[in-house]
Amino acid sequence: MANSRPPRPAPDDAFPTSTSRLQAETEAVLLDHIPTQVQAETAQLPAKLNKSAHVQFLARNFIQGFPAKYTSQDASQPWLMFWTLQSFSVLQVGLDPGNKQRAIDTILTWQHPDGGFGGGPGQAAHLLASYASVCALSIAGGQGEKGGWDQIDRKKMYQFFMSLKQPDGSFLVAHHAEVDVRGIYCLLVTATLLDIITPELVEGTASFIASCQTYEGGFSSASQPYYSSEPYTPKSLLSSPRPPLGEAHGGYTFCALASWVMLQPFLDLSPRGISRDRPQINVKSLLRWLVQMQGSAAEIGGFRGRTNKLVDGCYSWWVGGAFSLLEALGVGASVIGPVPGDGEDSRASGRDTEPGEEGKDGENEHEWDDVDDSFFNREALQEYILYAGQHPTGGLRDKPPKNADAYHTMYCLSGLSSAQHRMFPSVERREQLQEAWKAPSPDDTLPGKIRKETFLNSLSWTEDESASKILGGEANRVNATHPVFNLTITHSEAIMSHFYGQTVPPRVRSST
Amino acid sequence: MAKPTKPLYSSLDEWVDVQPLEQYEKVNPLAPIFYTDEYKDATSYFRGIVKSGEMSPRVLDLTEHIIRLNPAHYTAWQYRYRTLMSIKAPLDVELKLMDELAVKYLKTYQVWHHRRLILTETRDPQRELAFVEESLREDTKNYHTWSHRQWVLSHFNDIDLWRGELDFLDTMFNQDIRNNSAWHHRFFVVFQSGVREGEEDRERVVRRELTFTKQNISFAPNNPSAWNYLRGVLEFNKLPFSTVTTFVFPYTQPTDPEAVDLVDLDNPPPSKQAELPCPAAIEFLADIYESEGGESLLKANQLWKSLADEHDTMRKRYWEYRIKESLQKGST
Ligand SMILES: [Zn+2]
Repeated sequence: MANSRPPRPAPDDAFPTSTSRLQAETEAVLLDHIPTQVQAETAQLPAKLNKSAHVQFLARNFIQGFPAKYTSQDASQPWLMFWTLQSFSVLQVGLDPGNKQRAIDTILTWQHPDGGFGGGPGQAAHLLASYASVCALSIAGGQGEKGGWDQIDRKKMYQFFMSLKQPDGSFLVAHHAEVDVRGIYCLLVTATLLDIITPELVEGTASFIASCQTYEGGFSSASQPYYSSEPYTPKSLLSSPRPPLGEAHGGYTFCALASWVMLQPFLDLSPRGISRDRPQINVKSLLRWLVQMQGSAAEIGGFRGRTNKLVDGCYSWWVGGAFSLLEALGVGASVIGPVPGDGEDSRASGRDTEPGEEGKDGENEHEWDDVDDSFFNREALQEYILYAGQHPTGGLRDKPPKNADAYHTMYCLSGLSSAQHRMFPSVERREQLQEAWKAPSPDDTLPGKIRKETFLNSLSWTEDESASKILGGEANRVNATHPVFNLTITHSEAIMSHFYGQTVPPRVRSST
Repeated sequence: MAKPTKPLYSSLDEWVDVQPLEQYEKVNPLAPIFYTDEYKDATSYFRGIVKSGEMSPRVLDLTEHIIRLNPAHYTAWQYRYRTLMSIKAPLDVELKLMDELAVKYLKTYQVWHHRRLILTETRDPQRELAFVEESLREDTKNYHTWSHRQWVLSHFNDIDLWRGELDFLDTMFNQDIRNNSAWHHRFFVVFQSGVREGEEDRERVVRRELTFTKQNISFAPNNPSAWNYLRGVLEFNKLPFSTVTTFVFPYTQPTDPEAVDLVDLDNPPPSKQAELPCPAAIEFLADIYESEGGESLLKANQLWKSLADEHDTMRKRYWEYRIKESLQKGST
């Protein structure tokens, strides 16, 4: 995007309000982070991912400890652990055996005697802490007496989950706590990884998720159930109204969409799922909302989390990462085939080639043969992260001039990963997994079928290596991550094959 | 290091019967946090209390202390709630304390949820909407505050609560017509929470909302919140987008310096200083053409192409996808 002309500021129609003023101030700050033509040519400001500075930033807190200002994260210790470990994974950094063991031992102290994990030792069990702990164990742990995986009390975890369940299909995030779709996402990932997801557990959950979609297309934090107040009958849930509480929001939208993807086997296979009251979401308005969240050139193509709010590095993942999830619902630019005779027009509009990018143009003049099949501007998002997201002294951030923190470091890096790589549910991979599937007993029961479907759906995600796009060249490459779990594919395969008792066939590196 | 606000519990006689619990006993933890002595002391005593199961007035003091040091300590909130219930503490006093803490820790989930738990018990939401309005002054787009207001309205579902919402929204829109939270709240109030007294004539309500939205678009056309609302109103009420073609069209054209001031309430024209054409209007018109099908698809394609190449190049891929998709639909 290096440009001699400054990009066009957001139009305020000579009708300024606090939103447009804040927007203009932010654009002014971001402008200083867009390399000029001269700088780009003389490489004074290369689009370089400062890997070693970020690793140092992470390692400092991780090994020595977090300064006192992180006391606000005392109830989120599993998150500090997960953000750090997953950032290392995305940056292709492994942990030495000594620290690995310390990580496992630390994580296990957060397990609650009645099931689930809490935000620290002695803290109450919480869905978010359970997700972060189990994901951290996916990265650092393994099987066996000291590995952490077999020390997770899955039975009690399941009981804890069931104890949070509400009549409208939602879950409290902890006892006496709030309902929101982050908690549901965390519960579903945890249950999926640990092979404790059942029709009983998720009964009604898909309807709840669907009710959180707002008129804008994105999802809100929760919805409000109304119950009939007929006297002398048990109060029953009304199918409508169930209004969303809060507006469409990037974080909640990711969680809702990923939950929706994890719930597909239940919708497809359960007898009720085929019927007319199968819950539905509006994918068209969702896609529109997602693309509208990408900021303009003046915002270096970063993502915002709500309409008329500012761009922020963490939405690189929450919104940028949501696009690949659409592929699981059959919505991908790639799902639509080539259009005969439209080649000229599409090419006339031009395609910017970035250094280090490998294209495969020109195979067929009459095909829409652009290798970039994504819905959003992947190059621009990478620019936002590299130019504005990186703190000069290491770590990544919301936006300049803010400080870096563990949360933004990880979600900027995961977002960068989703902009570099294209992930899709591979039919080929699915067949390999299906062939290798070992059923404990003939499983033509419904729970057995759903279990298998969950395993196949989760692990058929594959990188389309011909479609990766690394801005700034190979040195900037980060690992691909699982679009639903935000773990690497290797870590996802390892923990799932352990709990499902499967042997996953090796992946053959190939392009589609 | 922050100055302690209270003496350490370990120095107080009245806490001598509690056995404080270290956080990490047998493990040398990775990624520890360097707490202040005050925080470490208070949470050690709290772990001791949780272990013993004590529920007493001094537990309220202790949990309040921890919450003030770290309002995201959900276990302290949870234990506090149980204690309040168990000792039947006066909840009006608790709500008073929450008034202070909610404004102080606006961005914390727990302050809002605790408030909700207390209100569920007291069942007295009378001053709640005024309180929310007050907190929104601090942060006009706070997600929790808006959700809380929506919860109060729908949970208590009292006509007296609902009655003032459109007036309240007028004050919010007067401050900032780009506040998307206010737009969402309007949709919540008008369309998504049932039909209330005085709003039974739905055709009139839809007309009112369309007029309101068009008016706001005319002041500042490049406001995505208003366009999204316009789409929402039409879709929710199963009205075709072409209902507003006449209104939308001028917004898809370059600014007209010759334009004369017109008062047309049904189709208010763009303000003189509007920066046109407006990409949201072009998108809207393209959707109208697409739904007409046939010959109009070509016009839709041209509009998408103008977005891809000129007016909204960041979303080039998406506009190209729309073209591709519509051609494919058209050919089958
Ligand atoms: Zn952020």
